[in-house]
Amino acid sequence: MAVPTAWRAARVTPLGELHTPPRMTAALLRLAVQVGLVASLWRGLYAHTGTTAGLTRDQAVTYAVLAVLASRLRALDQYAGRDTVIQHMHFGTIVYWYLRPLSPQRYYALRALGEQLYGLAWALTGYTVCLWTAVVTPPRSAAVAAVFALSLLLGQWILYYVMLAIDQLCFFTVRNSAAMLILVFAQNLLSGVYAPLWFFPDWFVTLSAFLPFQATLSVPLSLYVGRIPLSDAGPALLVQAVWVMVLALFTRLAWRLAARRVISQGG
Amino acid sequence: MKTVRLAWRITRLNFRAQLEYRSEFLMMVAIGAVWQVSVIVFATVLLTRFSGMGGWDSSDVLLIPATRMLAHGLFVLFLGRMHGIGYFIQEGKIDVCLVRPMSVHLQVQLRMFPTNAIGDLTVAVGLMVGALSRSDLDWTAGRTSYLIAAVLGGMFLEAALFTAVASAALRFPAADYWGRWLEELLGTFGSYPLNVLPKAVGGLLTYGLPLAFVAYFPAAVLTGHGHSTGVPYWLAAVSPLLGLLAYLGSRLLWRWSLGHYTGVNG
Repeated sequence: MAVPTAWRAARVTPLGELHTPPRMTAALLRLAVQVGLVASLWRGLYAHTGTTAGLTRDQAVTYAVLAVLASRLRALDQYAGRDTVIQHMHFGTIVYWYLRPLSPQRYYALRALGEQLYGLAWALTGYTVCLWTAVVTPPRSAAVAAVFALSLLLGQWILYYVMLAIDQLCFFTVRNSAAMLILVFAQNLLSGVYAPLWFFPDWFVTLSAFLPFQATLSVPLSLYVGRIPLSDAGPALLVQAVWVMVLALFTRLAWRLAARRVISQGG
Repeated sequence: MKTVRLAWRITRLNFRAQLEYRSEFLMMVAIGAVWQVSVIVFATVLLTRFSGMGGWDSSDVLLIPATRMLAHGLFVLFLGRMHGIGYFIQEGKIDVCLVRPMSVHLQVQLRMFPTNAIGDLTVAVGLMVGALSRSDLDWTAGRTSYLIAAVLGGMFLEAALFTAVASAALRFPAADYWGRWLEELLGTFGSYPLNVLPKAVGGLLTYGLPLAFVAYFPAAVLTGHGHSTGVPYWLAAVSPLLGLLAYLGSRLLWRWSLGHYTGVNG
């Protein structure tokens, strides 16, 4: 596929955001306040405690703030863009995804890529400010930074497939609002957004190890703060890579099945 | 009386409409429950790992999420359709409401049945029962009445906040975005003692965005922490009344905003 075509599809969401200053202002304020509140909360919790669940205060604050920043990567108001699968299913416009000289799966992937790159710009800016103001600690070494970056990339890749699978559900159930909410909940809880998984009971940590969510955020952030030592990074990255492959195969199959079930204008 | 009958009839029809998509209906009930469970999990993890949170016993702390959740569940059931109204406005559906012989506010509230409230309230009632059974307080008639008033006040305060956002959405549909942020803040920071935060941050969540009045201050008054909240005791004590006043104020704001609403065609 020609690069210009890919570029045009990928930049749709970022351009939409750039032309909506109120939404960008709100996103900026929301991110700043959320980072401030989360950092204050964890500092307050550690006021009378040293190390808890193997995490020091600085590690816990860094983890929590990075979790907030990472959540910006896919925190776009996709519904406002009128280009979600459920909206197309509702209005019957999903059929156009199958009439363009660009396959639905490729179009979806390019839109998601644009969204995540746009989100990355926000997250990186926030990270730079937090690093500069000493809200978060820097990675312990260049090797940790490199492994973290690779792990974060794999994590976002997994998250992309998980979100895609939920969107694909629309082809079979027409609606996916509840499933999406459940996904957001599972993602926040099982990936360690609410609190690092190390704080949870052992059975919870074991359970989450069998699900893809912890690989999206908990693994990269644990590598960053040093809760997973560099010597154990190999197996953690391997698990992430396996999830990428499994979910890629699953969603590929789902695209094929979805194409046979597209409903538009009453069928 | 006619309005009440009509509202009841519309609600029944909405409920049947929700039942049309069975799996979606069941999942919406589930999401209400799991969303609240997430708050419980978070609070439990913090309570387990950080004993004596803000100088509060865990049984006292539990009263905060229990009050907030019950207030939130009632808000979702009765007044929650103001949340997420931005798309309703953007799609011009509010224009239709303007020409019907029924209050626009009531029409908005009746636009769908909040299935997730079933799950919300189930978990909230369970948590409140758990919090009360673990509480060492003497639940006199006065204290019980205050707790009921606190739950209703919390419901009204949350409704006031979302009604204010909805009023802004009549002019700026993108304001809906703030509603989701508000929900996130309420869920994250409305469920434990705010004195664990620095004073400036606590002040922001008291006077800037009055989350503290939803559950933290009423729970502090009930559990004897009312003098250590960082605000005058009387102010913490009148939280339920403030919730009601804020709601009445927000309804006036809604009425004023609706009077100045201009659709696509002016």
